[in-house]
Amino acid sequence: MRGVFTVARLEFTVRVRAGHWRWLLGGWFVILVLFTLLLRLAIGRAPTLDGSRGTVMYGGLQLFQLALALIVMPALTGQSINGDRERGTLGVLQVTDLSAFDIAAGKLLAAWATACVFLVTSAPLVAWSMIEGGVPVFRVIVVTIVLALLLGVICAISLGLSALLARSTTSSVLSYLAVFTLTVGTLLVFVLATGLTATSNSGARTDNTWVFLAPNPFVVLADAAPVAPLPRPSCRTVTQENITNGHSQTVTGEVCSSDTTNVDPLGSISRAVRQLRTQPDASATFSPGPIGRGGLVWPYGLGFDLLLGAFMLAVTTRRLRTPRHHLARGVRLA
Amino acid sequence: MVSLKATVVRPETLPTGLYRAPPVDIGIGCLRLKPAHGDYPGLRRMCGGRPSEGVPVTVDGGVTGQTPGGDGVVAHEVWRRFGAVEALRGVNFTAAYGEVTGMVGPNGAGKTTLFLVLATLLAHDSGQVWVGGFDPAHHAGAVRDQMGWVPDAFGFYDNLTAREYLTFAGAAYGLGRAAKDRAEELIGVARLKEFSDQPVHVLSRGQKQRLGFVRALVHSPRVLLLDEPAAGLDPYSRVELRALVRQLASDGAAVVVSSHVLSDLEQMADRVVFFDRGVTVGERRIDDAVRVSGPRVWRVWALNAADLVAALDRHGYVHTPPTALGVDVELDSDVAAAGLIAGLVHDGVQVVSCAPLTSTLEATYLQLTGEQA
Repeated sequence: MRGVFTVARLEFTVRVRAGHWRWLLGGWFVILVLFTLLLRLAIGRAPTLDGSRGTVMYGGLQLFQLALALIVMPALTGQSINGDRERGTLGVLQVTDLSAFDIAAGKLLAAWATACVFLVTSAPLVAWSMIEGGVPVFRVIVVTIVLALLLGVICAISLGLSALLARSTTSSVLSYLAVFTLTVGTLLVFVLATGLTATSNSGARTDNTWVFLAPNPFVVLADAAPVAPLPRPSCRTVTQENITNGHSQTVTGEVCSSDTTNVDPLGSISRAVRQLRTQPDASATFSPGPIGRGGLVWPYGLGFDLLLGAFMLAVTTRRLRTPRHHLARGVRLA
Repeated sequence: MVSLKATVVRPETLPTGLYRAPPVDIGIGCLRLKPAHGDYPGLRRMCGGRPSEGVPVTVDGGVTGQTPGGDGVVAHEVWRRFGAVEALRGVNFTAAYGEVTGMVGPNGAGKTTLFLVLATLLAHDSGQVWVGGFDPAHHAGAVRDQMGWVPDAFGFYDNLTAREYLTFAGAAYGLGRAAKDRAEELIGVARLKEFSDQPVHVLSRGQKQRLGFVRALVHSPRVLLLDEPAAGLDPYSRVELRALVRQLASDGAAVVVSSHVLSDLEQMADRVVFFDRGVTVGERRIDDAVRVSGPRVWRVWALNAADLVAALDRHGYVHTPPTALGVDVELDSDVAAAGLIAGLVHDGVQVVSCAPLTSTLEATYLQLTGEQA
């Protein structure tokens, strides 16, 4: 493990020292602040959101942060191996005592740590949403861990592609393509596959096709988030005049909103995907509860994503193993 | 830049062909930070004649750690193909401890491929290779422990200082806490003390080359592979490099160095191996090459060109018309050259110079690599 940390420390130092780093982190933070401000302004007055403003802010922020990270991470990691080879720093590393796994895992650790630094910058905004209320600490912890794991997977995919492909530009582009596949691609496949399940005498069977949507990072993040607490029911006193059989009767009482589903971006995605797992006839009656009636989706999605990440790490290690017997066309060793 | 001038033996103060090494302790062998994998004939010499006490002799998995003949590097009939391209088609050479072995050959002759095989990065298809007593294809770890490699092109990490770079290299070789001290030592060897806290990218090309060179020494290797180390260096830096290479060899290391600059090799190598299209086509000791010489062109110059030409014609030598540089005469051997000079002097021609136009190494190179063209 010492070798892994040796490589990770070097990679991280090199990344942090690079001049563009500060601009990236600064830009990242500014965009997040602007987004949160706009979101807060947009939900500022609506009375229906009383009690769940924090939930909306937090959920929106995390989904936005994931989207932003999916854009930034491939660029930061997509040239990890072949970029080093192009710069002529990889060969001299491979002839040291460091093993192929040390180099691969060290680079992944550094990339992941970089991703986590990006996540940490959003801490003040998360604190803000917690002050607004409706965001339990447990939810923040779980969402942060899942978000970090998802970014780790993206880093591993980019790293693997940079080890597989000779040119750093090619691997960067392919990293973005991989991210696109995971986000838009899973959605497209789900929709198309669902369409195929529809027959003349039955509707579409999403209970057979929800798995295609499971690896989607947004789905995983939303579904893994613990359920947000229900806002206290807002009750108001109403006076009503009833006329029955010609007699007027004044009834005074309390009417409470029966809307038990709070406004929660993460929760609504979660409910929607869990709903997909239910049988078609069961889905006819819409479940009123905060939890969808279908089973959990995120363990499958996160499991798949983590396996994919582990596979890409294994691919990277394999590609870094020396002495090399086979060389792909155009690959320079050092 | 002050210390640059202060510490280095300037080229003009040295007799030609004999460059003394700068007075620095390279620390090869004596400063071993890791246990050796075996005992070598060259080991004792590396520690300045002292017995190599405290160097544990370990045998790795039944492997003797001995190359045939106890040499630093041995290659026997090494082949390597890349698809249809045969990069190495039977390479044979040895590099002894305590010697500098030069490698020359045209571009694309397979030198860099061979270096990659020796440096444990590329597997050979067939043949046998030993580096420091081990087969790089099967005991890469054992080879890496005692082999230092300077690739023909290498880069540095942006924004890392020279000290951090060398400390990291030490850590990568598993030196642990000793990495810091070793980095300091090597900064001294590379004469980068004033620049040790500067980011590497501000260093000059020569300084970078020195830094990359000492990086390969971080684990005190006994086999050094230098692929075109002099490329892009100014004459002054070349002299320094030659001195450092000579010092490493005299400390007992087996140094393999490739270069296109034959005059460099002539002054730094003990032996030269000739490469052409993936095959080793010849091997010469530098002193042999100087003593034994075949037909070459000699350039003669005298105070009076007319007298010279007249004397050459009288003795029946075939020669070029006189130019401002002199008259070129093709002679069969050194004996013939001595005879020519004696004859000219006897005839009263005031000879100023008579020297071979091409160096012996260059002549051998052209002869060996040209005959297959």
